[in-house]
Order: sequence, then structure tokens, then C-alpha cells
Amino acid sequence: MAQRISGTPGTLGETVEPKELAATAAETTAENPWPLSLLSSKMKSYIDRMSSVWIEGQVVELNHRGKASYLTLRDTDVEMSLPVQIWKNVLERTGAPLTEGSHVVANLKADFWTKTGRLTMRANDIRAVGLGELLARLERLKKQLAAEGLFDPSRKLRLPFLPNRIGLITGRDSDAQKDVVRNVHLRWPAAEFEIRNCAVQGPDAVPGVMKNLAELDEDPQIDVIVIARGGGSMEDLLPFSNEALVRAVSAARTPVVSAVGHEADRPILDEVADMRASTPTDAAKRIVPDVAEEGMNLLRARAELEAAVHRILDREQEMLTAVRSRPVLAEPQTMIIAHENELATIRRRSLQATTGLVIQAQNEIHHLRSQARSLSPLRTLERGYAVVQTDAGQAVRSAAEVASGDAVHVRVAHGRFDAAVTDVTPEPASDSTDAAETANGSES
Amino acid sequence: MTEPTTQQDQPEINSLSYEQAREELVMTVKRLETGNLPLEESLRLWERGEALADRCQSWLDGAKERLDKARQETSDDAD
Repeated sequence: MAQRISGTPGTLGETVEPKELAATAAETTAENPWPLSLLSSKMKSYIDRMSSVWIEGQVVELNHRGKASYLTLRDTDVEMSLPVQIWKNVLERTGAPLTEGSHVVANLKADFWTKTGRLTMRANDIRAVGLGELLARLERLKKQLAAEGLFDPSRKLRLPFLPNRIGLITGRDSDAQKDVVRNVHLRWPAAEFEIRNCAVQGPDAVPGVMKNLAELDEDPQIDVIVIARGGGSMEDLLPFSNEALVRAVSAARTPVVSAVGHEADRPILDEVADMRASTPTDAAKRIVPDVAEEGMNLLRARAELEAAVHRILDREQEMLTAVRSRPVLAEPQTMIIAHENELATIRRRSLQATTGLVIQAQNEIHHLRSQARSLSPLRTLERGYAVVQTDAGQAVRSAAEVASGDAVHVRVAHGRFDAAVTDVTPEPASDSTDAAETANGSES
Repeated sequence: MTEPTTQQDQPEINSLSYEQAREELVMTVKRLETGNLPLEESLRLWERGEALADRCQSWLDGAKERLDKARQETSDDAD
């Protein structure tokens, strides 16, 4: 339907020969162009024919002007957005107040304004995707990724003990960045960083982090990458549960440390990262050893070693001194004294024993002597008797034993003398036996 | 009376390890303390005890020396 619209004369002022209108856009040429209006109207009719469509996105801009509101919707993953216009009454029907950054699903219809050539989308319906829905979706994603084995411990890469260069993805001038850098340098002053700043919440977060991750992962110098941001609301942290980002982290060849939010927050990033740190400061502690601390440990170990040896030596020394101070060693003479005392006691005892014996013997002698004396004729001699003995020494008991002229020895109490028998007068024996008995009795 | 062991069959003190010397020292003192030993035996045991104690002491002194020397070296390194 190449129908020529009568228009003003050609720009050169002269009337132009009406030419055949190109049937399709492809047939147009510089010499035989379509009038712009034809193009616009064709576009409009084409666009009008497009059906309305439910899409998911994030509100990045929202301003209300009179009867209508204008907002910009952005894709949740990629940096693509569309301006959207919505009638006031339609907006009010949604109930949940829309704010910038909120997650929505919207039913859009494309409108092409031929006058200005502007393409806008008109929202016939728009609904905020509730937190519950988001969380539910997040859980489903988590289960799915777990099923795929992305969370397996076996996939976790080991962090280097002493990183060569540390890649750090975080918000510009964020506390997280300061915490990580300061704490790492406190522990290991020589640590080197490769910092990449980007949005850490809202629609730009996912693409920003992924771009930086790719770059840092590519750099062989960097052997650990930290993704850090401070605490935030559920929505703030949502990008760190985003499927595209999580898969990128899981696929990264360099170990990734997730230090997102507070201790309690657990975005899916935590599950796929090679190491989960509860906070940016905690991340610093986990990626570099504390040189001072290591030094301290060494010193303490050395001191403990020495103390232990000293304890052993002191204990042995104590034992030795104790043993040496025992009397048997320290004063051996005590043993000698013991022997001496023993000797002395023995000596004393033997002395006593012997003196005892002597005394006893002495007594015995006295006893015997007196006994002998009492038995001995001396006393009778002292009473004036005398003992006459023959030359042979025989004591004369009967006159008959001698004859006159015999020499006899006479013993008196004091002394002796010899005599000769002059006259003998025998007597009968019976009287003399009484005298013998009395002598025997006193002897026993 | 225990049979007094003659000097020869008692191991040469210097060949004893610290623990052996220490052990025998403790035993010697015990025997001396139980007493009723022949005088000659007591004296011999006492002498033996002294020699054993000296052996242990010299070992301890040696150990302390080695320790001080080692500490000296480490503090040299640290300077």
C-alpha cells in the first residue's frame, strides 16, 4: 500500500516528480526514502499489535506526577531497564506501596508515541514481590543449587596461608573495606590488595560484583578474593543470593571468601564461597596469619620449653639435696656414733658382767673361805687343840698309830713345831667316831 | 647380716646413667637408715652414697650449664 501523501514541495522549492513509494523498508534508498511519518506509523501499528506481558524487575526510579506515575524498571540480573508509566488509579490498586529498589512483577503494554517517537511501557498491573515470596524463591534456589552439589565441601578451595595479593570486592569507601584492609594490615603489614568497588545492594549489585569477580579471578597474582559488605536489610543482601552471582562464585578458580552482613545473615553466597567469614573483620583474620601472634606463640612455646626443663632440673636438684641432707649421708659420723654407742654399751655391759662375776666370785671365795675356816681345825686349834701329824703327814687320831720315840709334827693355832713321842696310852675307838660325825655335818 | 658386696662387682659409677645413679643412691640411703650393718659395710655404703650423689650433682650442673649456654646463644641471636 505505497500510497503517496501529498506534502509540501521539495526542499529545493521546485515541484518533485511523484515517485513510486518503496513497498517495504528494505526497498527504500537514499533517493527514494520513506517519509519519516510512514516509518513511525508502521512502528506504531507493529508495537500496538504486541500483546501485554508480565515481567519481573526492580523499581529503580519512581516519581508521581499528577494523574500518572513514572518509574524505571530494571532487570534483576542484567543492566537493562525500561521506563514505565502507570495511571494513578492502577498504582493505588496494587495496595503495597512501591518504593525504589522494591522487587515487582508488572503487566506491561508497549506504547509508541508517533509525535515524539518515544516508546514507553504502560503498566496495566503491578505487584510488589513480597519478602515472603522472595524468601520462598530463595529457598527453592538454595535447594536446587544444593542438589546440584554446588555446596559440597569437596568443592571448597583451600585458602593460601600467606596470600600474594588479596582481591577485595566491596562498596566504595565502605566500612567493610576499611575493616578488611585495616585488620589485614594489623596482622600482616606487608599484605597487598587489589580493591574493586561496586554497588553492594540494589539492582546494580549483582552485575557489579560479577564483573569485578571475573576480573579478579582472571588475575593470576590474586590468590584469594573477598566479597565484603556490612549488615543490611533482607532486601539489601538479596543480590548475594542471586543465582547468576552465586554460580559465578562457585565457578571461580580463585578461592572466594564471603564476608557479607552480620553473623546471623546467611545469603546463598555463604554456602558456595570457599570460606564463610561472619564479618569483614573476621574475614581479615581468616585470610592472613597474625605475624605478631605467630611470633608471640613462638616466644611463649620457647619460654614454656625452658620452664619445663627448669622444672625438671629443679625437682631433681631438690631431690638430690634432700637425699644428701639425710643424716646417714650428711653426717656419717652419726653412724659411727651409733656404732660407738653400741660399742660403749657393749663395753659397759661386759664390764658390768665381769665386775658382777668378780664380785660373785669374791663372794664365793669369802663364802668358801669362811666355810673352809669353819671346817678347818684352826678354830679348834685356837681353842688350844693341836694337830699331830706323823712324819708321813698322817694326822694321828689314835695313840696306837705312834710309838714312843717317833718324830711327829705338831700344829697349833699359831705355828708348828716338831716333837718326839715319849709315852703312848691307847684308848678304845668308839668315842672318837662321834667327833668325826660332827665334823662332816658342818661341812655340807 | 647382708652379705657385703665387694667394691669390684658394683658397676663403675661413671658408667651409670643419671637415673641409675639416682636410684642406687636412694637405695643406699635406705639401707644405711635401716642400720644394723657391719661397721665396715656402713662406711663402704656411705662412701658409695657420696660418690653417687656427686655423680648426680655433676650431671645436674652440666645440664644447667648447657641450658644457660643455649639461652645465652638465643639471647645473642636476639640481639
